[in-house]
Amino acid sequence: MAVELTGITKRFGAFTANDGIELAVRRGEIHAIIGENGAGKTTLMNILFGLLQPDEGSIRLNGEATVVADPAVAIKAGLGMVHQHFKLVPSLSVADNVFLGMEIRRHGLIDHAAQVARTHELSKRFGLHVDPTERVGLLSVGIEQRIEILKVLVRGARTIILDEPTAVLTPQESRELFQTLRSFVAEGMTVIFISHHLEEVMEVSDTVTVLRNGRKVATRPTSELSKDELVRMMVGREVSFDRRPRAALHGDVVLDVKDLWARDDRRLPAVRGASFSVRAGEVVGIAGVAGNGQTELAEVLSGLRPASHGEAWLKGRDLTTLTPAAIREAGFAHVPGDRMVRGVDRNASIAANTLMGRQHRAPWSRSGVLDWKAIAGNAGALIKSFDIRAQGAADPVKRLSGGNIQKVVLAREFTNGADFLLIDQPTRGVDIGAQEAIHSEIMRQRAAGRAILLISVQLDELAALADRILVMFNGRIMGEVSGDNADEDRIGMMMAGVLPEPVAEPLS
Amino acid sequence: MEILDKLINIALIAATLRTTAPILLVALGGSFTTKAGIFNIGLEGQMLAGAFFAVLGSIWTGSAFAGVACGVAAALAFALAFAVLVVTFRANEVVVGLALNILAGGMTISLMKAIFGTRGSIVGHGIVGLPKVQIPGAQALLGSWAPLVSGFTPIVYVAFIAVPLLVLFYNRTRLGLYIRVVGEKPEAAEALGISITRVRYIASLLCGLLAGLAGAHLSLGYITMFTENMSSGRGFMAVAILIFSNGDPLKVLAGCLLFGFADAFSLRLQTFGFPSYLVLTVPYVVALTALFALSYRARPKIIKETLASMQKLLSTDRNSVPADKNPQ
Repeated sequence: MAVELTGITKRFGAFTANDGIELAVRRGEIHAIIGENGAGKTTLMNILFGLLQPDEGSIRLNGEATVVADPAVAIKAGLGMVHQHFKLVPSLSVADNVFLGMEIRRHGLIDHAAQVARTHELSKRFGLHVDPTERVGLLSVGIEQRIEILKVLVRGARTIILDEPTAVLTPQESRELFQTLRSFVAEGMTVIFISHHLEEVMEVSDTVTVLRNGRKVATRPTSELSKDELVRMMVGREVSFDRRPRAALHGDVVLDVKDLWARDDRRLPAVRGASFSVRAGEVVGIAGVAGNGQTELAEVLSGLRPASHGEAWLKGRDLTTLTPAAIREAGFAHVPGDRMVRGVDRNASIAANTLMGRQHRAPWSRSGVLDWKAIAGNAGALIKSFDIRAQGAADPVKRLSGGNIQKVVLAREFTNGADFLLIDQPTRGVDIGAQEAIHSEIMRQRAAGRAILLISVQLDELAALADRILVMFNGRIMGEVSGDNADEDRIGMMMAGVLPEPVAEPLS
Repeated sequence: MEILDKLINIALIAATLRTTAPILLVALGGSFTTKAGIFNIGLEGQMLAGAFFAVLGSIWTGSAFAGVACGVAAALAFALAFAVLVVTFRANEVVVGLALNILAGGMTISLMKAIFGTRGSIVGHGIVGLPKVQIPGAQALLGSWAPLVSGFTPIVYVAFIAVPLLVLFYNRTRLGLYIRVVGEKPEAAEALGISITRVRYIASLLCGLLAGLAGAHLSLGYITMFTENMSSGRGFMAVAILIFSNGDPLKVLAGCLLFGFADAFSLRLQTFGFPSYLVLTVPYVVALTALFALSYRARPKIIKETLASMQKLLSTDRNSVPADKNPQ
């Protein structure tokens, strides 16, 4: 065994990121660790590499019990980690970057020629095509990743951990990376590969370990698994929420999206021809494994990302031509997927956070001067009605728990009179009690006649709340399922991209 | 043509080399801090302190070289204060730099008053200037071109020799490489176990060393006297050159030569009876114009981004289709 983890538990405050995880990685295999965002994959690998210390559990490297106090210990034991975020120096050459910190020197001066030769030799051996003399600043992300891998190799790694390596790669670059990983294995090295993309896990790995909510679900040989089995293990099949009762009160179409396309940060198409509509008094769910275009879709609708083609009409205005502020003015509320980044200012008070976006409107502001009494009074009322557990409206948001922070966002977004609500991952990282409360609040908004688009990676959440569920895969809407009797197998198949062809005209 | 001949000749080029030396030295000093990611606006003060204490040292010891050592020590003290405040206590670089500049200005004036009882300048008092180095055989070999290589004070040679040495330092030595890494990508340095604090201290002190030499050259090499505020903005010009050259020694040299030439040229113009105040602006105007022209194409990202976002705002206001809405 190259790596054995036993009973690894890691807590951050009240949140348990890893809960008694067992992991055994055989020497000479490609071992994929798969799970949704927040499943605990990166935490586990940071523990293995000595960047975090586990609260419980033990680690054996190459059969020897080891306390991995810091990365130096891990490197000495032959481990190497390629992080998601690269740490390269743009003005230095490829070879200089590879050897940074362990320069080859002759007569006290750095021997560039020797470094270039060594880099060239390694890159040829493993198919990591780079020009050792080129400046890193001029290179693409894919090549930067190769340099990071070379850095790990020159430090003598025999077990290489890659954290979401394909997240920044084009499909072509991913295929080349997989070839390199296979060449490592061919030389007797071991690869641990973190991903949430089933396709590539199926393609490249020998063994898969599935994590969900900080726990290990299973470790299985890849050849014994099918894609939709894998999806079910990732997203979980046990339904923890009951379907919410509802009255049918569908009104007019509020949001009408027509053939919408958008590119991701790599300039690759991330949303491919999405068409759907949302009616007043309706919850339309969007299901899919994270990273299949849901984030980009939400960003386009809220004005944070340009559309490359298509339209999104909200009450007679095309959102793709408006700024985020104008979109909000048009009657659009947005509960963002990452509340700490887009949802709140963590250092500001609850009162200030409930104000944001409407600070220029009466009664909060008169002749350009804020009326803090009115703002605090309103925040106090919201704290009560949304059951936010806090000491008072002046409390900084960062003191609250995740669930209560989310309630602050909901309180703001649900009370600004918008007709359309875009709700992205409303219960991510939120405890069960708060989840129930948030679901109830969403249903109240539905009953009030709002049109709601609910994006979630949790199938049970969609099954509990949505009237219709659209499934996204690889940027396309694969099909639609009624929420009343959501067929999880069918949804799982579509999430894995298994349906033979995307439905051309999915909706009215 | 005749006037041009009188204006531009070998004497002018020799004068250019002489006037370039102090700004080249101080800019090369600043190249260490620039490369290490510190915006060092305190060059002016370090240089001024160097100039003053070089004169003091020269008077006290009767030796020009001991004077230079005193000047360098004073500049190092300023550099150390800068490093302690900026690197260790993380104070704002601009505030600390400006404060030390003001301190250097005020301190030299009041010390002058206290020690010599005068204001304005220190002349005489037995100041020993730096000797001129006559390179043997230069006259015989080069004839009338000899003043281009021979007859400068030692610091001038140091300044020009420092350029290739710094190129070598940044490209081939470990410390030079680490200074660049710390400035460019501190998180990479951290990940590799390079101490950012230590590297930045070293860079600051190296900077003080060269700034002190530059100051000593002003008061002991250029002319043998100290006047109030005698660095007269050279430290700030060096900062400008550093911004545009990104601290690369060869680009620093080019920028400094341009400034030195304009400086020498303006001195020459004065002898032709142009109003001196106007003439004194020449080096600064020339250097700033050239630097602006050079950098216009590579103008800061923030300006480009502002322009781009303004364009977007204007186009969306008219509810028109954004420019990049091409079908896939």
